[in-house]
Formats: sequence, structure tokens, C-alpha cells
Amino acid sequence: NEETKASQKNDVAVEQFHSSNAFPELSVKKAAHRNLQEGSRKEEEDQCRLPSMEAAYASILRELGEDVDRHGLLRTPLRAAKAMQFFTKGYHETVDDVLNDAIFDEGHDEMVIVKDIDMFSLCEHHLVPFFGKVHIGYIPNKKVVGLSKLARIVEIYSRRLQVQERLTKQIAVGLSEALKPRGVAVVIEAAHMCMVMRGVQKMNSRTVTSSMLGAYRDDPKTREEFLSLTQN
Amino acid sequence: MEHSRQTEFTSNDGKDTRDTTLVVNGHFDGVVKKPSAALQSPATESGSHRSAASVSESWKEEHARSVEDNEVSLPSLAAAYTTILRGLGEDPHRQGLAKTPWRAATAMQFFTKGYQETIIDVLNDAIFDEDHDEMVIVKDIDVFSMCEHHLVPIIGKVHIGYLPNKRVLGLSKLARIVEIYSRRLQVQERLTKQIAVAITEALHPTGVGVIMEATHMCMVMRGVQKMNSKTITSTMLGVFREDPKTRDEFLTLLSSQPATYNDWQNNSIIFQSMAEDHSSDGCCQTR
Repeated sequence: NEETKASQKNDVAVEQFHSSNAFPELSVKKAAHRNLQEGSRKEEEDQCRLPSMEAAYASILRELGEDVDRHGLLRTPLRAAKAMQFFTKGYHETVDDVLNDAIFDEGHDEMVIVKDIDMFSLCEHHLVPFFGKVHIGYIPNKKVVGLSKLARIVEIYSRRLQVQERLTKQIAVGLSEALKPRGVAVVIEAAHMCMVMRGVQKMNSRTVTSSMLGAYRDDPKTREEFLSLTQN
Repeated sequence: MEHSRQTEFTSNDGKDTRDTTLVVNGHFDGVVKKPSAALQSPATESGSHRSAASVSESWKEEHARSVEDNEVSLPSLAAAYTTILRGLGEDPHRQGLAKTPWRAATAMQFFTKGYQETIIDVLNDAIFDEDHDEMVIVKDIDVFSMCEHHLVPIIGKVHIGYLPNKRVLGLSKLARIVEIYSRRLQVQERLTKQIAVAITEALHPTGVGVIMEATHMCMVMRGVQKMNSKTITSTMLGVFREDPKTRDEFLTLLSSQPATYNDWQNNSIIFQSMAEDHSSDGCCQTR
């Protein structure tokens, strides 16, 4: 009787082993597993929307007075549509997917800063790029996050049609909800091509926005430390 | 075979020799100077000749826009942008995006306003007979263009130098010529060449040199994603092409430190070469 029980257990174990494709990591990392499924769905979506966007770009080229059949513009509608999809790929991603469970118990409670993260986004009002640098600081509550994950969170929210104020806040709130740290600070300094290339045409103007949560908002000294460390 | 330097310039352009009635950008006399067969570029350049031919065809005067054309095409441009917004998965009716199709359409028309302008309008007869035959350089002209392959901005600087042949051009006209050609769907190589050829046609100087260095957002924001890469193209015509010393002088003057006035650091600064040692006349401060 014990033998059959043991063999039953064994069968179950073998089945589990096979069902998880024999890779123990996959069965543990649910996020990655979900990502595998979601990834293919997103690509399909992008593929079906491509023809209508291509047609839209072709009509834009025509309306601007260009000759759509000239050599340099032959595949431009397709390239422009794909480029635009790349610039808005952040819509498909969530913080959970990207963090990849890269949260570690370090027992660290001093400020961690990742600065000069290059950021490229699209102005939602003119569909023209704005780009700059993001500085992120947080005070962990015993849990630290993998450093590249901060940059990946920036990527998720910046690759969308954005307003710089909202982008700053989304990064801060996204990080704060994922980690629950003692404080989060995000500063973005960017140049807006909609101001540089058109309109007022001020070449050297920069827009700076910041979002301070938790200890950074309450304690001016903490904020000062962050700002002095990032402004060099 | 005696050719004046002027006709040499037009042959460098690789223009279509078959049809002299084609009007190419910047050739305000309406007639394309036929390059001679002897000066024709060798077979290796046949590819560029083909594309140059299609370039000249696409810039026919008949395709030039007018302000009325802009107003007429605005609704269909806006409709196209609405389709794009929907295709990206966004909600075109949310508050931030409600008027975006119109704004994006007008922005795009602004970025391609070079199609509406012609060299004649812009030059405004600002050509003066000055007995000057030393190099004139206008550098650090900010230039913004649109990559014709991805419809993404190109951002950079243009440096222009020319050796007048008794006729000088109003300085801002150099920047205006840059504006006409840059505010189009462009390829950096073609943009540099068009600027050089336009100045040549307008002034018939002894030589023209145009250098452009730019960052291509299509390389920075997507694709290879190389943040710090710069593309540099140049066109040297006339004596700039033939005489290495002239070219050297031009390049040296470009890389010298400009005099920095506190509020005017980023404006284009004029340098005129002098016969004597340049650094001794105190017009430049070394930083």
C-alpha cells in the first residue's frame, strides 16, 4: 500500500515536472510565464494595426505635398508606422512584468540613486519627441530593487504619448507601489522638440519636473541630499 | 575644354542631363545648366545618379505647396493622425488627445514648410557687390529636419563657408537657405548638397563649403539606440574642392573657439579670415 502511494506521489511529481517543461525557474516566476503569453498577443495586435497606420502615413505624405512614389519614400509609411509603434510600446508593459521579481532583501535603508537615465518620449499634444534625463532616488524599506529595473520602469512610462508632469508622477508612483519604500524622488529634465523645432523655437530651453513621495516630501533635508547628489 | 567654375558645380550635382526643363530646388533661373558629358561622374555613381534624377523630379515646381494648400489638406491630415492614434491603442477622445490630430498636422506642415518656399523669395535681392574675396563663414546654424525614412527629427548644426567672387550675400540669407532645405523630408547628404548648390547658383562664388553635423533621432530613440552618435556630411564645391589649403583654412576656422558673449553663446558667429595670423588680432578668446 505504501508502495502504491509512493509511486502515486512519484507520478504526480513527474507530471508536475513535465508540465513545467522541466525548467524549475518557470514554475516559480509567474510573472515571466504571464509575460510569455502576453508578449505574443501584443505583437499580433501591433501586426493587425499596421496596415491602417501605414495608409494613414501614406496619406500624410501625400497631403504634405510629397511624391509618395519617389525612391526615398517608398517604404516610409511602413517604417514610420513601426517607429511610432516602438515609441509607444510602453502601453503594453506593466511594472510587474518588468520588475521580474528582482526585489532583494538587503536590509539597506540608505538612499539609492540612479541618475542620468536617458529618456525619450512623445509629446501627446504634437506627437513630437521630447527627451532628457531622469534621476531617480529612493530610500528602501529593507528591500532593494535591481538597478536596471529603475531604468526599465522609466522605459515603460516614457514610451507612451506623454505629458512630462504625468510621466514624472507615474514613475514615482509605479516605483512606490511596487517596492513600498520609505520615499521616492524622481526628477526629469528634458528638451521638448515641440518648443525647439516649432512654435516659440527656443533652442536651449529645458523643462524640469519633479515628484517627491514619502520621506522626500516630508523631510527637506532628505530632499536636499537627493538634489545635491543629482545636480553635479 | 574650358569650363568656368560655375558649370563645374552643376556637374557635381549629378543632375538629370536629359531634361533641361526640369526645375530643381534653388535654381531660380528656371534652367538647369547641362553638365557636359566629359564631366559626368563615372559609372560607379550611376546609383546616385538615378536617385539624383528622382530627387530632381520630386522637387518640380508644380509640387510646391502654397498656404492655401495647407489649409485644404489640414482635415485629411488630422483624420490620418486620428487613425494613427487609434492604431496605437490610445483613446483619441481623452482630454489630452482631443485636439492632438490638428496640432500634430499643423506641426507636420511646419516641419515641411520648406516645400512652400523658393530661393528667390527668400534671398530678397540681398546680394551686394562688395570688393571682397576672402572667406566668409557662418557657423553653428541650428538645423532641424525630418528623416524621410522614419518621419523622426534630425537635429544638428550647419557650418557654411564661401569665397565670394565680388558678390556677397546677406548673412541671414545663408541661414534662410538652410531653413528652406531643412524643413523638408530629407536625407542628410542631400540636404548638405542642396544648400551648397543653392548658394552657388545664387552667388556664383569662387567656392562653397558646407558641413553638417547632426543627431538622428531615428538612431537615438529607436533601432540601434546610440545616444551619442553624430553624423557628419560635407559638400565642397569650387576652390574648396580643388585647393586643399582653402579647405584646411575653412576647417580650422570652424574648430577654433568662438568669442563667447554672455547671452549670445549659441548664435551663429561670423568669422572673416584675415591674411595675417588669426589668433593675434584678439577677436577670439581662448577658453
